[in-house]
Amino acid sequence: MKKIDRKDFLKIAGGAIAGSAVGTVFSGAPFISLQWLVEWTQDQHVPSSGLEKYLKGVCEICPNKCSISVRMIGERAVKVETSNSGCPFGQTSLQMLYHPDRITTPLKNTGSKGRAKFTPVTWDEAIKDISSKINGIIKSGKNDRIASINKERNLSSELLDRMVNSIGSNHSYYEPTLDTLTAGAVGGMLDYNFDDADFILSFGARLLEGWGDSASISKSFSRWKERKVKFIQVDSVCTRTASAADEWVPIKPGTEIFVALGIANHLIKKKGMGSGAADFGAWSAIAGEYTPEAASRLTGVPAKKIEELADALSRAKSPVAVAGKGGKAISSSSAEIIAVYGLNTIVKSRSVTTKQNVNFAGAAPIQTAAKFLAESKKCAGFDEFVKTKNFDMLIVNGADPVYKSVYGKELAAKLEKSFVVAIMPLVNDTAAYADYVLPSITSFESKTAAGDPVVKPVDGAIHAGDAVLRIAKMVEGLQQSFQWKSYTDLIALTGKTAGAAGFSFKGDILKKQLADLKKALGDANYSLSLVPIEAPVVGDGDGLAFPYAMKVLGSETFSSGKLYVQINRETAKKHGICNNESLKIITEKGKVGSVKALLTDSVSPDTVAVPMGFGHKFYTRYAEDKGVNPREIMNDKIDPLTGTASWLVTRVKLS
Amino acid sequence: MMKDMENKMKRRWGMAIDLDKCTGCGECAVSCAQENNLPIFEDDSDIPKKMTYLDVMRITNDRDAKFPDVKVAFIPKMCQQCEGNDPKNPQPPCVSVCPVVATDTGDDGVVSQIWSRCIGCRYCQVSCPYEARVFNWWKPKYEGSFKKSLNPDVSIASRGTIQKCTFCSHIWKKERDKAVMKGELDINAVLYTPACVSACPTGAMVFGDLNDPKSEVSRLARDNRAFRLVHTIDQKKPDEQKKFRAIKNFPNPKVYYLSSKQWIRDLMRFK
Repeated sequence: MKKIDRKDFLKIAGGAIAGSAVGTVFSGAPFISLQWLVEWTQDQHVPSSGLEKYLKGVCEICPNKCSISVRMIGERAVKVETSNSGCPFGQTSLQMLYHPDRITTPLKNTGSKGRAKFTPVTWDEAIKDISSKINGIIKSGKNDRIASINKERNLSSELLDRMVNSIGSNHSYYEPTLDTLTAGAVGGMLDYNFDDADFILSFGARLLEGWGDSASISKSFSRWKERKVKFIQVDSVCTRTASAADEWVPIKPGTEIFVALGIANHLIKKKGMGSGAADFGAWSAIAGEYTPEAASRLTGVPAKKIEELADALSRAKSPVAVAGKGGKAISSSSAEIIAVYGLNTIVKSRSVTTKQNVNFAGAAPIQTAAKFLAESKKCAGFDEFVKTKNFDMLIVNGADPVYKSVYGKELAAKLEKSFVVAIMPLVNDTAAYADYVLPSITSFESKTAAGDPVVKPVDGAIHAGDAVLRIAKMVEGLQQSFQWKSYTDLIALTGKTAGAAGFSFKGDILKKQLADLKKALGDANYSLSLVPIEAPVVGDGDGLAFPYAMKVLGSETFSSGKLYVQINRETAKKHGICNNESLKIITEKGKVGSVKALLTDSVSPDTVAVPMGFGHKFYTRYAEDKGVNPREIMNDKIDPLTGTASWLVTRVKLS
Repeated sequence: MMKDMENKMKRRWGMAIDLDKCTGCGECAVSCAQENNLPIFEDDSDIPKKMTYLDVMRITNDRDAKFPDVKVAFIPKMCQQCEGNDPKNPQPPCVSVCPVVATDTGDDGVVSQIWSRCIGCRYCQVSCPYEARVFNWWKPKYEGSFKKSLNPDVSIASRGTIQKCTFCSHIWKKERDKAVMKGELDINAVLYTPACVSACPTGAMVFGDLNDPKSEVSRLARDNRAFRLVHTIDQKKPDEQKKFRAIKNFPNPKVYYLSSKQWIRDLMRFK
């Protein structure tokens, strides 16, 4: 055998190296490792796959309860399919479901309040502590110093109302909504039949911006377009609703009521129309002063236009005059709601009816409750309660009164001194003051009338109704009224309504509120009017926790960390304000800032249109420290009928 | 004969958006973000750098008009899926400049974009007349449990790549595959709806095949309220259009907007 010399050895070795190199290249290994290198250096996430299916569910974000379908990949919900019948707020519900800041265990406050410093505790511990606190308050004979604030009417709010009332407190309230305001002003919630209406006249009600049942109004709106139904918006700012309406009737800020009175005057005097409702005589005597010409001087709307609107309203077969200014957040004086609803009764519209909520019956209050229920008077509404009442314990169910009430600061001071329980999925500005935060589940995690939950509830969170049930079962004397095992037993029992009657025009209220309004509008120290507007998806603030809301916001609302307020060009010139200038907004109550000026003629002169929903101090990492919250400085005069501040127009100046 | 068949098999997906019905609610944009795994940042307010496919633009005529005659409208703007002068040989402005064929047009008229092939030169972003392309300045981020809602049909882009709307063509491809699995080989029987269109709560957006003269979208595209975004050649007479097309390539978008309002159409004219 030939000896392998040095040359051969090198040849073989070289060949082996070359061969393995070629082999490696052809094996694909370098490409796979390059892929790995790319994934590793870029730290790229690959969504896991799984069996795809579509599950039917009910969107529980608002009382409208749209049916939707959820696209599932294995156990994960990845898309909400609304098939053209949902709303943008429902579309964000997956961002709520999978929010990284969701609470997954009860939290107990440690340290000073208002800092949102919590430590996790077990459910048993939290429920025991809360219920013993309630038992202590009952024992010391202060039953009516327990109160609750709900976000909106739903199963858990009815249960919480029942618990608070059975203990002997009348103080169960709701954040102001269209329903609470209209119920206070006209004695029933207004039920509009938009589908059959053939003429819609909206007085500052931003129908397409979250007002009422978003989804059903969007459907009605597209039908109005197809049926060529006239939709007219009276507003001081060209909001999204005004831009989509057939006609925008621009007015001086806050003067919607004078347009309504001018129309009523024309209908009564020129058309001989009237209403059989109580106190119409006194009311129409006041309306008699507001001829279209007088209304025109106050509102800036030509008298001819007011007469035209009146004629169109009386000509239509089923006209609707819509009351309740605002979008997601509503604020109107009761005189204004009465005046606008009054127009419907004057033209005998069949498209507007009233109804009221009926809570499920059969509660057996504890023995000492009757005395307190008879003695302590329920406030007319939420802001009146926050302003005038003191309490030892407040249970907040999904609501955010510290952020949303114009009395937020006063409420925060009261919360520091009392025992606060917050039931909600995300810590908000109010929960920051809570002694206990109990995690509740969200839209697709709960069982509904349609069936089982779409996704398994997040570990540690339970239905808000179950949280209330667990507390109530531990309160002495309440077991009788809370015998259900779970919220699922109550699905069929709750959410009932009935017809309402007893509308009165209340001429005295009109007289007083008109005098107040005229005085405020004539204030020379504060020559401008702050009118809040709402950005899409953000709404009145709840939407800002969902980061996809930011994908929708344009440079007219929020850009590079700055909130933009819209000011009329002429007004800006008069006050020496240029585009993009940083401003502070000042009212009698204080100031907020800084915000940036956006000059546009789409707002009325002497108006500052400020987007709401920004300026949270605590509401997940996505909403915190973005912009300012104008409610801190808004008008806080409380309306006697609705018990709510009419903050929608506030006199301000700029600096 | 074969050639004809091939042409018949080709879809030309297009969209029509009725601005009279659009309320600017933003549901289309949220739905799009959810479907296409758009990144989630704590502060996404740097608007030129924000990753979004669908921009709900607020437009107003307040340069030309004064209060109270000023008007506002909303235009949902996504990739306009241009096809150039010849639909049979589509040449959108972005495709011809891409050095790595990361963007191309398929047999369905959709201008595709493959993120993983993109080298981030941003030529296409510059050449796009509609600012429909967005550059990933940062690595896409999905904090914690947000990862659970990610759609496995759309890959996550890396930093330094261009992304854009593809008319949710991953849904189209999935529907096509499903049909094939069922034994259905005629692609003309397969329909789909992009996420924005199926979300629109007022039905302002309509999607369909522009090749099919009976489809809702081609009926709307021929409507006399229809126009395309800043596409001035549309206002010229047919023979003039022919003359201009011979010397210049026009984008020819496949997204049509409808409005009965004259001021919006005036805005499109570069007066």
